[in-house]
Amino acid sequence: MVPVDAGAPRAVRRLRIAGLNKVIFIMASPQDNAGREKAAPPSSRLARLAVAGAVVLVIAGGAVFYLASRKTPQPAPDDAITVTITGKTCDPNELTVPAGRRTFRIVNNSDRTVEWEILDGVMVVEERENIAPGFSSTLTARLDTGTFQITCGLLSNPRGTLTVTPSADAGNAARPALTAFIGPLAEYRVYLALESGALTSATADLAAAVRDGDLARARALYVPARALYRHIEPAAQRFVDLDAAISARADYLEKREADPAFTGFHRLEYGLFAQGDLAGLTPVAERLLADVTTLEERLGALQLPPERMADGARTLLTRWAGSIASEGEERYSGTDIDSLAATLAGAGKVIGLLQPLVAKADPALATETQAKLDAAVARIDGLRGPQGYARLGDVGREDRAAIAASLQALADATGKLNASIGLE
Amino acid sequence: MIDEPDSPVREPRLKPYSPVRRDILKALGLNALALAGMMAGVAPRPGLAREPAAGGNVATAPVSDRTAEKQPFLGEHQAGVVTPRPACGMVASFDVLAQTPDELVRLFRTLTERTRFLMEGGTPPVRDPRFPPTDSGILGPVVIPDNLTVTVSVGSSLFDGRFGLGPFRPKYLERMTAFPNDALNADLCHGDLSIQLCANTADTTIHALRDIVKNLPDLLWLRWKQEGAVPVLPEVPDRPAESARNFLGFRDGSANPDANDTALMNRILWVQRGGEEPEWMAGGTYQAVRIIRNFVERWDRTPLREQERIFGRARDSGAPLDGGPGASEFDVPDFGRDPDGVHTPHDSHIRLANPRTPESETNLILRRPFNYSNGVTKSGQLDMGLLFICYQANLLNGFITVQRRLDGEPLEEYIKPVGGGYFFTLPGVRDENDFFARPLLAAAHLVPAAG
Amino acid sequence: MKKSLLSFAAATTLALGSLTLAAPSAPVLAQAAAAVSPLDLVAPVAEYKIYVTKATQQFVKDTKAFTDAVKAGDVEKAKALFAPTRVSYEQIEPIAELFSDLDAAIDSRADDHEKAEADPGFTGFHRIEYGLWEKNSTAELGPFADKLLADVEELHKRIAGLTFPPEKVVGGAAVLMEEVAATKISGEEDRYSHTDLWDFQGNFDGSRKIFDLFRPLLPKDDGEFVKKVEGNFNRVDVILAKYKEGNGFQSYEKLTDADRNVLAGAVNTLAEDLSTLRGKLGLD
Repeated sequence: MVPVDAGAPRAVRRLRIAGLNKVIFIMASPQDNAGREKAAPPSSRLARLAVAGAVVLVIAGGAVFYLASRKTPQPAPDDAITVTITGKTCDPNELTVPAGRRTFRIVNNSDRTVEWEILDGVMVVEERENIAPGFSSTLTARLDTGTFQITCGLLSNPRGTLTVTPSADAGNAARPALTAFIGPLAEYRVYLALESGALTSATADLAAAVRDGDLARARALYVPARALYRHIEPAAQRFVDLDAAISARADYLEKREADPAFTGFHRLEYGLFAQGDLAGLTPVAERLLADVTTLEERLGALQLPPERMADGARTLLTRWAGSIASEGEERYSGTDIDSLAATLAGAGKVIGLLQPLVAKADPALATETQAKLDAAVARIDGLRGPQGYARLGDVGREDRAAIAASLQALADATGKLNASIGLE
Repeated sequence: MIDEPDSPVREPRLKPYSPVRRDILKALGLNALALAGMMAGVAPRPGLAREPAAGGNVATAPVSDRTAEKQPFLGEHQAGVVTPRPACGMVASFDVLAQTPDELVRLFRTLTERTRFLMEGGTPPVRDPRFPPTDSGILGPVVIPDNLTVTVSVGSSLFDGRFGLGPFRPKYLERMTAFPNDALNADLCHGDLSIQLCANTADTTIHALRDIVKNLPDLLWLRWKQEGAVPVLPEVPDRPAESARNFLGFRDGSANPDANDTALMNRILWVQRGGEEPEWMAGGTYQAVRIIRNFVERWDRTPLREQERIFGRARDSGAPLDGGPGASEFDVPDFGRDPDGVHTPHDSHIRLANPRTPESETNLILRRPFNYSNGVTKSGQLDMGLLFICYQANLLNGFITVQRRLDGEPLEEYIKPVGGGYFFTLPGVRDENDFFARPLLAAAHLVPAAG
Repeated sequence: MKKSLLSFAAATTLALGSLTLAAPSAPVLAQAAAAVSPLDLVAPVAEYKIYVTKATQQFVKDTKAFTDAVKAGDVEKAKALFAPTRVSYEQIEPIAELFSDLDAAIDSRADDHEKAEADPGFTGFHRIEYGLWEKNSTAELGPFADKLLADVEELHKRIAGLTFPPEKVVGGAAVLMEEVAATKISGEEDRYSHTDLWDFQGNFDGSRKIFDLFRPLLPKDDGEFVKKVEGNFNRVDVILAKYKEGNGFQSYEKLTDADRNVLAGAVNTLAEDLSTLRGKLGLD
């Protein structure tokens, strides 16, 4: 659950993470839960950070507005189902729709920027993020028969229910020959298996360094482990609980760095790079190791719908396009470019797997996507020196804007892939 | 290349139509009127097809009005023995892979089922196109009978220790051993089971073979096969049907015993109940198969007179050499009046094969040969010859004795037997519940006796 | 997801229903395409890629040792390594042979070439086999060894980058048996060394791997089919076990006719039965 945009208001992320905590709550030990309840107030140091964060938020808010203004809102089709989010609830909060392609128009009448998600257990089926107060957004999903939960505003708001009933026009018959996706999906599955296996062992090495109290080694091992997570993130982000535990940023937690839910890579990063202190990091590292091990197992059993490949890549690219121009995503270590390069490698894998199908269906789009990918990679490569990638802080504002633009262009092209191969 | 174990039936076959034709018409359910109409019209030529009517493309298929002809499957004897030989034939020999008596039973039951379908024709089951089709499709979506006969015989090796059939082995069934002129290629000899396939066209026999191979992959393994054909002749009104020629240019089959003579067939061809043979064999017959290569280039460089003296017949007419002007293949040589072999040399093929003495009456065999042409030898010569098939009630008295008499004949310089084998052709499948080899399997208590 | 996959399968069945209606006179086999979702095939295809990848890595390693022995002039060692090295290749042949240039370079036989053993295009394992056994020498084999290793490394590279076509994977089970049935049962594959039984083992292992990977997807009522296929694999195992010697196998010349017949029957039947696997799994 990597933040979409640097400027996403805290409240949104809180909501989201709080919602996740419900899941985590079930799986977490009582101590974890108790610890959360008794969380201490932020230290003065954290308070200073909070002030700095607020400044960043102002800048990032501008970026969000910039991005939002670039996107012409798509008018909702006439048969769209309108859901209105208010401060306390969604209207309607119980939905029943026939299976097939359904469009929802989400109207945000609350005073917080929100997201609206359709959840199948811990899995995100479809989501629309960053719906600003007073705005609406549309979401189109191919829904299969079943019962789903929908997130609806604040955590304290009851989750809604979406019941999808069987229908003749479920669209399954019109779905493209799924056999065409077996090869790419299998290849992707192999990739996920190999990369998540590598992630587990890289994380084990990192945890060992933390346990050994070897700060320099731990710092050195953080970057490659983080990169491996980035490789598989298009698929891994589907597991909302694990994604939050492994990769959530402090910004979106109520108590920021002091929040007991602040775990995973960024918690380690914070200790290793911001604090320069390994104290208390061993349980964090071991928890991370346990989480990535679980992730490896889950990915091994994951039956990824084909449209998720491009969707996952597009989501991540869009997030980076927003964050790279502002405070980045690896703020304690400044290794954003390393991380971004890994995201591009993971997205490139997906794009490469889909390219043969796209090239048949829409050769121009295939060429365009490849060109955008190459351009984004070239920009990142340009930041590579003898010591590796530049720290984000050393990358100038204009360069960051150019990278953001190249990522957005790639995200846009990637966003068209599914439609071109009949997956929308 | 055995000729002349002559039939005692001498009269020329001047019948306006063969009894077989009658059977065919019966099988087709034609009434007498239709029959008369058909006889009055142009009778279809046997065997091969005509070119299509004008207007067809180069690759338009030849046409035939004989594709619906079918031979009865059920009967006391198997079809394909006394059934008139159609244009195309094949012998395929198999190793039986069955490991247990149950598998052996399944083999014969499946073979029965396939034969029934193939000889009857019909539409094979249609399957989801993502599966391999049930039928090779080489005859189109509907399998035509096309006069197909499938004749199943068993070799002596089936009576080894595998299934406990030893005590029921036909008395004269043995593994073929080489005669002096033979150069047997192990890859072309013997087998646990032979299947003779005959039909109007080669495609029909190939279709049948492929069907059998596809349906019995775990029970049959193909050892060898040889296809052959016989040339098609024009029908000449008021003349008896002629014997087909072999690849040496001579008629082969002159004076074959008359297959329509039931009494004769019961004596020389069909094993009878109550004789020296096991009971289960009644209604069956011994089959000898020989693949005999002909050295045709050399033959074509041999003076005609020498060729004729080697065979003992005039090449063009097929008449015996002691026949006068106008003699035909239906004239009978009188060796008694030629004791010194002036007309017909003693070592000529027909005189050795059938010396026409009272003793040689017990050596009569029913021949059913086809010519084969396989390609080119490593020496750049044509690899062609005779797929010799013959049937008899006693293999020793029949083929083996006749071939022994032929050992050393001058023809040997031009021929070289390279393969084949001895088999026993099973009795016919008698009714819907019967199946190939059931009497044998019942005798060995592998299946219950027929009710 | 499950439910929608079922309805997808139902739609497929419907389409087939109308297809069979087109030939009303023909009896229709009940056996329609299996109610298997294509997405269910993803996991076994991925597993198979991992299997092939591991086998290929082993193959590269073994080929290196084999070609090193050839280049070192160690005839006995090269002979000992020849057959075991080939096993990995025989296992993955359905994928390896997708690269026809490499397949020819690595595994073609003398009779695939116009001038047989004397043909300059005759390279790879069998060319080296010819030198080792017929000439009992490694003389002049050096360049062939170098080329073989380079080709095998190239194969490894290409396989790593290959998206496995699912129909080739599923169909591979039968393809391996067709290979044995058509060109190996005769003993003409390893004609100089008579190490054919090693190859058989590789082919059977490769075929069985595919079958085992996809077996869980077969319709529940297909037990007879599964039993029959497994029975034939087991038959083969029993025969091969009889000819085990050390870590490998006796000469193919030792194979009795009776055992060869059992192998032949099992192979042909496996080829026939496994040829339906693609259809059973709904693959064209």
